[in-house]
Amino acid sequence: MLIETFYRQIGSEIVTNKSFKFSMPVYKLHYFNNPRRGRAELSRLIFSQAGVQFEDVRFSHSEWPNIKPTTPFSQVPILEVDGQVLAQSNAIARYLARKYGLAGKDEWEQAQTDMYIENIHDLLNAAAVPFMEKDPAKQKELYQKFMTDTIASHVVAVEKQLKKNNTGYLVGKQLTAADLAYYAFFSDFIEVKFGGAFLKDAPLLKSLIDRVKALPNIKKWTEFRDSKYPEEN
Amino acid sequence: MPQYKLHYFNLHGMGELPRMIFHYAGVPFEDVRFEPSEWPQLKANMPFGQVPVLELDGKLLSQSYAIARYIARQHGLAGQGDWEQAQVDMYADCIKDFMINGRPVHDEQDPEKQKVLMTKFASEKLIPHMAVLEAQLAKNGGVLVGKGVTWADIACYAFFNHATVKHPDILKDSPNMAALVSQIGSNDNIKKYLETRPAYH
Repeated sequence: MLIETFYRQIGSEIVTNKSFKFSMPVYKLHYFNNPRRGRAELSRLIFSQAGVQFEDVRFSHSEWPNIKPTTPFSQVPILEVDGQVLAQSNAIARYLARKYGLAGKDEWEQAQTDMYIENIHDLLNAAAVPFMEKDPAKQKELYQKFMTDTIASHVVAVEKQLKKNNTGYLVGKQLTAADLAYYAFFSDFIEVKFGGAFLKDAPLLKSLIDRVKALPNIKKWTEFRDSKYPEEN
Repeated sequence: MPQYKLHYFNLHGMGELPRMIFHYAGVPFEDVRFEPSEWPQLKANMPFGQVPVLELDGKLLSQSYAIARYIARQHGLAGQGDWEQAQVDMYADCIKDFMINGRPVHDEQDPEKQKVLMTKFASEKLIPHMAVLEAQLAKNGGVLVGKGVTWADIACYAFFNHATVKHPDILKDSPNMAALVSQIGSNDNIKKYLETRPAYH
């Protein structure tokens, strides 16, 4: 538990050192370097949009066996907050979203934000099946099946919700982590795997993705990210 | 009092956790249950073609864990403060992962294949993560987070209450979890619910 001990020491030193001006927690987000986005990207987008500093720790698969025992559930992402550790990608994203005003303005909106984040979690789980397939021909077939069986109907459903909400955002009248989650997941498909054709009948979803992409803090993050971490697929 | 309606199949599945949170909290709700044969007509009314759905004053919320978290937060079962609530979310997600990863095992028809899948699931996920939960319960005085029961504890109860029907030995190496399950199960509201709940299937 070397990482935890180290950061717990720093945390307690900061607390006891009265002359130290300390307003922001020390955040370290740990994840694989490939897939580079996966289940950590939503939290990175939340940090970026909120303008909150964080250490974006990425490690290779060969380093993973050493890191694994230091995590609560032998999984990543994990978030270190002043040395304390939180696991589970959605718990991390939700914690940050709530802390930095990206979770919805009341309890019901927060529940809706949760719902959309859980939707994306389900889509990521479903996408993991073709992603993990080693045979390229079989993988292509599985991705195709995923697009027609899972993505197509989901796009129709979310387009309907966007139309119903009629604000340009998934929840309420302003940006939430729900919009960031949909941007993170669907922009991966557009930019990396399939092109934008599957959005041809979903103008509201397409416009939401474009709008999030163009937000100044998001743009700054993606430009930095793409130059520092070129796609490894 | 808000008018809650929970829509789900007449099964345990992903609907049981929201139901149990309502019961544990002593909050009345309409427990709308339907048979699989009725689902095709109802599906179109659900925002994402899925259930459970929570209906509140005409508004609809889907995703069982978003529903569970909402009800828990409304009724003091979500943990105190942001960090505790995040810890509760984390442990609840561990149970959700059991359900998601356990489903292909449960659905496999071929007994030989099922055995292989079960062994993989048990060794890679179920047993190691149950050990994490067990250690946390031992460290934290019998509940997962903070000083009282949270919906993460209720999620454990819902999962193991269901799992012990087909796998009665599942808690044999987890005395603290067994104690938690017994504690939640002895809650008066939960006891009353179990007396009238439709049989396991």
